[in-house]
Amino acid sequence: MKLIITDVNPFNLSVEGDYKVIKPQGAIHHCVGCFGCWVKTPGKCVIHDGYEGTGIVMGRCTELILVSRCCYGSVSPFVKTVQDRAISYIHPDFVLRKGEMHHKRRYQNTLSLSAHFYGEAITEDEKETARNLIAANADNYDGVVKDVCFYGTKEELERVVL
Amino acid sequence: MRIALMNGSPKSGGSSASSSLLADLKPRLSGEVDAIEIGLHGPAVSQEQLEALGNTDAWVFSCPLYVDGLPAHLLSCLVQLEQAGWQHRGIRIYGIVNCGFYEGIQAESALALLRNWCAKAGFVWCGGIGVGGGGGLGQMPEARNGHGPKGPIDKALVELADKILRCETQENVYVSVAFPRFLYKAAAQMGWRWTIKANGGKAKDLGKQPD
Repeated sequence: MKLIITDVNPFNLSVEGDYKVIKPQGAIHHCVGCFGCWVKTPGKCVIHDGYEGTGIVMGRCTELILVSRCCYGSVSPFVKTVQDRAISYIHPDFVLRKGEMHHKRRYQNTLSLSAHFYGEAITEDEKETARNLIAANADNYDGVVKDVCFYGTKEELERVVL
Repeated sequence: MRIALMNGSPKSGGSSASSSLLADLKPRLSGEVDAIEIGLHGPAVSQEQLEALGNTDAWVFSCPLYVDGLPAHLLSCLVQLEQAGWQHRGIRIYGIVNCGFYEGIQAESALALLRNWCAKAGFVWCGGIGVGGGGGLGQMPEARNGHGPKGPIDKALVELADKILRCETQENVYVSVAFPRFLYKAAAQMGWRWTIKANGGKAKDLGKQPD
């Protein structure tokens, strides 16, 4: 299954195969750094606003696809909030990977990570930062990067098949 | 010189590593300095905070690393700050990003985001510090003359304060606690086990896979 986290709403991109979309539906609360998803209700965020189960869904998918406005080289605040609230996908313990400290796996699936960034005037620095961020995400999820793409407009993005 | 210390931790109060780093930096900003504290603990900057920031010369952001980047609520604040109607755009921006990982270099992309934001918003990026071992800062004794587990961090803060006071730019600096990595890792993992038990769970529940 593909999990798509996006700030595009309504979401009308074509997707091949099984997929689930997480998009803005009601207010989302930001992560408060309580680590409750590791030490109170392991695997699930303790804030109940409809977005608390993202880490569980990530554990069931093969592809994670981020479709987002590019904010300074990051995903947008909404997509990042969903990511921040889903650190329960990984285990709190540390492992060494590529000579650096990262988190241990909670699940056995290997995520293939893609990011589709849209926005006017995305600079080369922002593109480089975005590529580095997605590579770092893949390292921390113990997954792989499939693709990082940039589009000048949302209309251009809507021609893509995910 | 008026400097805003921007606490970008989602935790209000003084218990966060971000707060602790700003508290360690503040006494180094000596001389004719008026340092104001701005708590960016949620996704919006208040009108009162915007007004307080209006006549400042430099902002120092201190925040945790979240999923390799800036915390979402802080990103949201940056979007708002970019769009606010600043009369004076030459404000100098410094950043301190702390991470729970041992290696400060893992904060590199988060500092790059602050740099890119400055370019978009018309502010002047002046560099920062990536701090590794942030998870242990609260439990570590104060550095004395640059020594102790927080010694390298303290040294980097002293140098950053000097750059701020001189209105200068620095290359990003990456530091970590002066504490062996394997011990840091073991201490963190013991801490998770202790905390889950304090919450009524068992150590094995840390790896639970809920339905």
